[in-house]
Amino acid sequence: MRRSAAEIALSAGVLVLGIGVVIGTALLPSEGGYARIGPNFVPGVVGVGLIVVGVWLLYEVFTGGWRDREDDSPEARGEHAFDVGAFVWVTTGLFAHMILIGTAGFVIAGAVLLMCVACGFGSRRWLRDLVIGFVLALGAFLFFVKFLNVNLPGGWLTPLLGVAGT
Amino acid sequence: METLTALLTGFSVALKPINLLWGFIGVTMGTFVGVLPGVGPALTVAMLLPLTIKLDPTGALIMFAGIYYGAMFGGSTTTILLNAPGESASIATALEGSRMAKAGRAGPALATSAIGSFVAGTIATVLLTLVAPLIVEAALAFGPAEYFALMVFAFTTVSAVLGASTVRGLAALFIGLFLGLVGIDSQTGQARFTFGVPELLDGIDVVVLAVGLFAVGETLYVAAYTSRMSDKLEALKGSIWMSIEDWKRSVPPWLRATFIGFPFGSIPAGGAEIPTFLSYALEKKLSRHAEEFGKGAIEGVAGPEAANNAAATGALVPLLSLGIPTSATAAILLSAFQNYGLQPGPLLFQTQPELVWGLIASMYIGNVILLILNLPLIGIWVKVLAIPRELLYGGILVFATLGAYSLHQSWVDLLTLYVFGLLGFAMRRWDIPVAPAIIGLILGPLAETQFRRALAISEGDPSVFFTHPISATLLALAAAAVIGPWLWRRLKRG
Repeated sequence: MRRSAAEIALSAGVLVLGIGVVIGTALLPSEGGYARIGPNFVPGVVGVGLIVVGVWLLYEVFTGGWRDREDDSPEARGEHAFDVGAFVWVTTGLFAHMILIGTAGFVIAGAVLLMCVACGFGSRRWLRDLVIGFVLALGAFLFFVKFLNVNLPGGWLTPLLGVAGT
Repeated sequence: METLTALLTGFSVALKPINLLWGFIGVTMGTFVGVLPGVGPALTVAMLLPLTIKLDPTGALIMFAGIYYGAMFGGSTTTILLNAPGESASIATALEGSRMAKAGRAGPALATSAIGSFVAGTIATVLLTLVAPLIVEAALAFGPAEYFALMVFAFTTVSAVLGASTVRGLAALFIGLFLGLVGIDSQTGQARFTFGVPELLDGIDVVVLAVGLFAVGETLYVAAYTSRMSDKLEALKGSIWMSIEDWKRSVPPWLRATFIGFPFGSIPAGGAEIPTFLSYALEKKLSRHAEEFGKGAIEGVAGPEAANNAAATGALVPLLSLGIPTSATAAILLSAFQNYGLQPGPLLFQTQPELVWGLIASMYIGNVILLILNLPLIGIWVKVLAIPRELLYGGILVFATLGAYSLHQSWVDLLTLYVFGLLGFAMRRWDIPVAPAIIGLILGPLAETQFRRALAISEGDPSVFFTHPISATLLALAAAAVIGPWLWRRLKRG
């Protein structure tokens, strides 16, 4: 029964989302013109649908667990135990990227992102990863900005890259 | 005859040097990204969508046809050499393909996969050329009620019939439908579930959802659960060419699988998973080398690969002729159309014949480019597989975030991307299918529009859905798809 904690949480999450949608729907106007239904009708249906599915999932959890899943043990699934460090490194990379992209620009943010992710996968060669990330992001930047006219922020490197930063 | 003229016009569009160039770039990029382990065709198409932002619609869609086929082929390479199927439709290929690779026959396995994909893709494109205009003709008689019923049918088959569990499929579907509600209601201008965030007013972009679920979710999953395991890459030894014996054993499976894959792809009960397994089972039964199955029988690669490609092409039939996507990849292609303000369907054949037929013609050309490009370049694609994982996933995320950020130049989209990444992580780990969520997001708003239009025409009388015969039939089938499996189990238990 060790898998039920996650299954309970996910099932309950669907149920809570459904309740939230129903509450949100109640705040929407209902006037509908010729169709007699307004912008709140379909959200109501979706909210009720989520609640039904959430209850159904919970029912499965408490009657032997979700159906038709492989055994949840790491061995059966070809996994190792949950690696918190790796998960946190990837998350850190994505948030650092989120903060840096608007200021330092796409290339630097991309280099930091790649370095953090590599670290999560067990690499300890920070400098190598940073350089590879920089080169990759620079290549992508030039390809998208110069060749495809897609707008990406140059940030701190704008004077060097010779393009207008946004 | 009319079709032939239209197709010739299409070729005159697709064969323009600039469009050939886009097709060529598309196939190359699609194969390159598709080869990356952990990147399936749907993610490839989603990640490469920003490439087309500034192109004209015809060029962009032609490039996309190339990306689509390239991604499929790239995925097979990874499946065979790494025994890592990027999507469920590749599992059947992995069964025999990886064993052939272990036995030093990776070359012929890749060749039968590439040539089989070409044969199946080309025949399926011919079928598409013939079938799509017929469906378009029939669909011109469809009103909003029929479209709504068809979409409901697609929802239930995608979420309830495919996959292990009806209820988990429905959970994913409803999450997708909810995400589809976010933004401005197209009929009244009412903002729904936007929480005052301006970036959410446009609605949630399918690229952010697909890339979040697949790329960010997969990276989080692999980092947390399998990053300390090691992959076994099979070396590409020996000749890559097929012997005469290999040819003899490959051609019949290619042809049979094409005719299994195409219909499955084109009915809205789509997905390429079922036809690949059907083809595998059929070849095992018919083969005179049945004892080789499980040890690397070439028929077991030739059949499923051809079926997969034929189904992928078949999925373009409902997409182009009805505007209904039946797979995650097709849903993302639909959003590529929408980016240009185009809604695929019967009307598009009439208003934009050059674009539609140019796209169909470019599928023939894409198949040829794929064949002449990929077999000689296979050595390069194999090198891509050798990229260390710590760099690979970082690189994937650099491109994943690029796509999301280029939408509004806003970090809010990156935060949304991460939230979907968490969702994708949970869905991956606890076996909730992802495709229904993506199809729900893209098809949900279209279904709501048709639903409200149908009711506006009937002045609020809901009986329209049950008195129109086509609509009533489709809704009955949809109900059967959800209740059927459950009822069946009940009856069996007695």
